[in-house]
Order: sequence, then structure tokens, then C-alpha cells
Amino acid sequence: MVMRILAVVLVLAAIVAAESGNNASGNKSTESNAATSANVVPSSTAQNAAIRVEGEKRFRTNCGRCHMAPHKFPPRMMATFVRHMRVRALITDEDMRYILAYMTE
Amino acid sequence: MTVIFKAARCGGWVTALCLSLVMSVLLSAPALAQAPDVSGTATVPVVTGGAAFVPIVQGGQTTLVSIISPVVLVPLGDKWLIESRAAFEGDFVRRDGTTGPFSGEIQKSLEYLQLDYIANPHLTVTVGRFLTPFSMYNERLYPVWIRDLQADPLILPLEQSSSNGLMLRGGFPAAHDLNLNYAAYFSTLSSNETLASERLVGGRIVAFFPNQRLEIGFSLEHLLQDTNANRFGTHFEWQPRALPLDIRSEYADTESGRGYWIEPALRLSALSHARVFAHTQVVGRFQQFFTKPGATNGDVPGADTKEPEIGLNYYFMDGLRATASYGRQLSSEGNANIWTSGITYRFAFPLGRGGY
Repeated sequence: MVMRILAVVLVLAAIVAAESGNNASGNKSTESNAATSANVVPSSTAQNAAIRVEGEKRFRTNCGRCHMAPHKFPPRMMATFVRHMRVRALITDEDMRYILAYMTE
Repeated sequence: MTVIFKAARCGGWVTALCLSLVMSVLLSAPALAQAPDVSGTATVPVVTGGAAFVPIVQGGQTTLVSIISPVVLVPLGDKWLIESRAAFEGDFVRRDGTTGPFSGEIQKSLEYLQLDYIANPHLTVTVGRFLTPFSMYNERLYPVWIRDLQADPLILPLEQSSSNGLMLRGGFPAAHDLNLNYAAYFSTLSSNETLASERLVGGRIVAFFPNQRLEIGFSLEHLLQDTNANRFGTHFEWQPRALPLDIRSEYADTESGRGYWIEPALRLSALSHARVFAHTQVVGRFQQFFTKPGATNGDVPGADTKEPEIGLNYYFMDGLRATASYGRQLSSEGNANIWTSGITYRFAFPLGRGGY
């Protein structure tokens, strides 16, 4: 019974979150989704390259501590995974920023 | 509020928890100007997790172990996350011991269901049911698609538990090549079968040296019920940059016994870049468990035990792996061979309109 209630709560929360995410990004259309990476990475090419190198380094250093480095997921999934890993694997905020920038570029 | 009042009786532990909170807030200076700004990055609820089918033959008795363990991640806004993991495990054994059809029940468990609030770059507040952050295996290496050897370490029952309560945790760069991570938690007693937990307080501090890829952690736990026992754990992990090698180790000392394991794992890409070598990993583990008089934990060996083990993993692709291992358990209760072989799989898909 407890498991069923928890499952229902989870599903409801997922629906609410999905809807709020859609509402938040819905008006921005596909352009804003495509621009997600652009928000993440500053415009300068040199900065982009530096962030990519640093991001890959931190990705391999941190993610590889526990498991095989995964392939890249779609940006919105990756953002969720990185938040999860920030809590679960004790990744610092700075590492999280570089890893997310690298994984969503 | 009840939790706070109960915790107030713990005196020093509450002070430690509060100190962690204050330190985290004070340390939240905006020292991240160099890091890319990822605020506003869109998220999507995700279902992920692992599944495995790993028959185990121990002392001539075969157990067909089937596990599926879904993880649900629901981000809310920029600072909140609901995360949960359940496990459905069927351990099917022959009805007559070594003959007859296989039968068994599916065991269901809720391993965590927690709400995380990222208060600042150095502090995350967690409430709900969470994996007890004692050492590293239970919290980080337990999932079937992550662990290098499918058999549990002998000391896992000393640390494997979930807690219901409040946890503060976070990490920050303490020096050029040093990240410090901490976790402090309080758990209430629950005798509910699905949500079982002990009344305890605990904490863990971890030092991680990114350049050396070296991690050392210390865990302490104080039981606030029954024996009021103290539990101690330490863990170590090193991944040298020169080799695709992982060396992990843990030691735990509790009222139920003490023991350690050490586990090196080498990717054979170190020998050759041929496809078959690049996808193959050789793993070894040696472990010992020492009993304590008066221990009542039925999940740990009843006599001093040692166990060498060797295994092989082959990664077909990211998330899909074949695994096999052989171990020899040496104990005054009887020696036994332990064979495992099987498949593990990691899945992930978005809930909602795609992940893009």
C-alpha cells in the first residue's frame, strides 16, 4: 500500500515537473532549446575551447570515479543527471558547471 | 519539528550538524566567476536505473538472481530535486535444493525517496528516505550496472541501510588540488518493513585530490537506540592517470563485526587497443570479515571469513555488459566456491516531451 501511494506521488510530481518545464520553456520555442548550449557556454571561441577541455577533464575525473563514462544524453536529460550526481556523488558546484557545459555543448 | 526536538537530545551531534550548516552558508562566497554559467538550463524528469540477470552458484546451490532497480528523477525549478530508487529482486532457487524447478518470490524495497534542496553551491539539504552515507559502496557502487563484481562485499551489511530523516551535504574546493565533501545526517527509528531505519546520527568527510584522482573518506555513526554503539568506516579510491586502473577499498568496524575489502580493476586497453581488449576489464577482490561476540546481525557471516575473488567484465556498449566471476569463501563454517555469470544493463529515458 505504502509503495503504491509513493508511486502515485512520484508520478504526479513527474507530471507537474514536466508541465512546469514545458510551460517555462514552451514559449521560447525550439530556438531557446537549441540555445541552451549557447547559454551554457560563453560566446568567445577561445573560452569555449577552454571550457570544453576543462569540462572533459572534470567529467573524466569525477564521473569515472564510480562508473564507466557514459555517452552524451540529450541536454535536458543531462541537466537532470548532473543535478542528481551533484547530490549523489558529491561533485562540487564548480565541477558540476564545467561538466554540464561540456556534456550539453 | 518532532525530529528537531528528538535531535536536540543528542547535544554534540546537533552542534556538529548546525556547524556544518553554518560553515556551508559562510563558505558560499561567489568564488565561481570562472566556471561557466549553467543557470536556467532546462531539465526533464527522467527514469533511469539498472537491470541484471546474474545466476550465482554458491557451494553447489544455484540462485537465479534477477533485479530491476528503477530510479526516478524529478527536478523542480533550479534548486529542487525529487529522487527515488526502488528495487525488485527475485532470488529463485531450486525447490529441492539442487534439483527440481526454480521458485521464489519477488522482493520489493524502497531504497530512497528524498527531496533535495540545493541551498547554495556548498550545501544541499535532503529530507526523506535516503541511502545512509556511510563509506562509499552503499551509496555509490551498489547498483548492478556500476559494481565491478556482482557478489556483495562481506561487510556490506554493516553499511547498507537507508535512513529516514534529514541530511546536510555538499562539497567545495579547499585548495588548488583538494576538494572536501561532507555529509551529516540524523535518522529516526522506523519499524515499517518497507521504510525500515534506525535512530542514529552520523557524518562523513571525504578528501578528493583531482590531479591524483585519489579519494580518502572517513565515516562515523552513533546509534541512538539499543546498544548506542559507535560505527566507524573508512574508504579509499585511486585511479592513476597512467593506467586504466581503479583501486578501491573499504574498512568498517561496527557492533556487528569488522572487515575490509580491496578491489583492483584493470581495463585491458592498457595491453592493447584491439576492440576485444579495449572492452574488457579484469577485476580482483580480497576481503576479510571478523566476527564480534554478541553480534546479532544475521546478514553477516557467523564466523571469521576470508574470500579471494576474480572476475571479468565485457562491455558491449555503454550500459550493457557481460560479467563473470569466481570466488572462494574460506571459513570455519565451511569453504565454498562462488560462481557468478550474467548480464547487466543500464537504461535511461525522459518522462515528458523528449530530452531535447
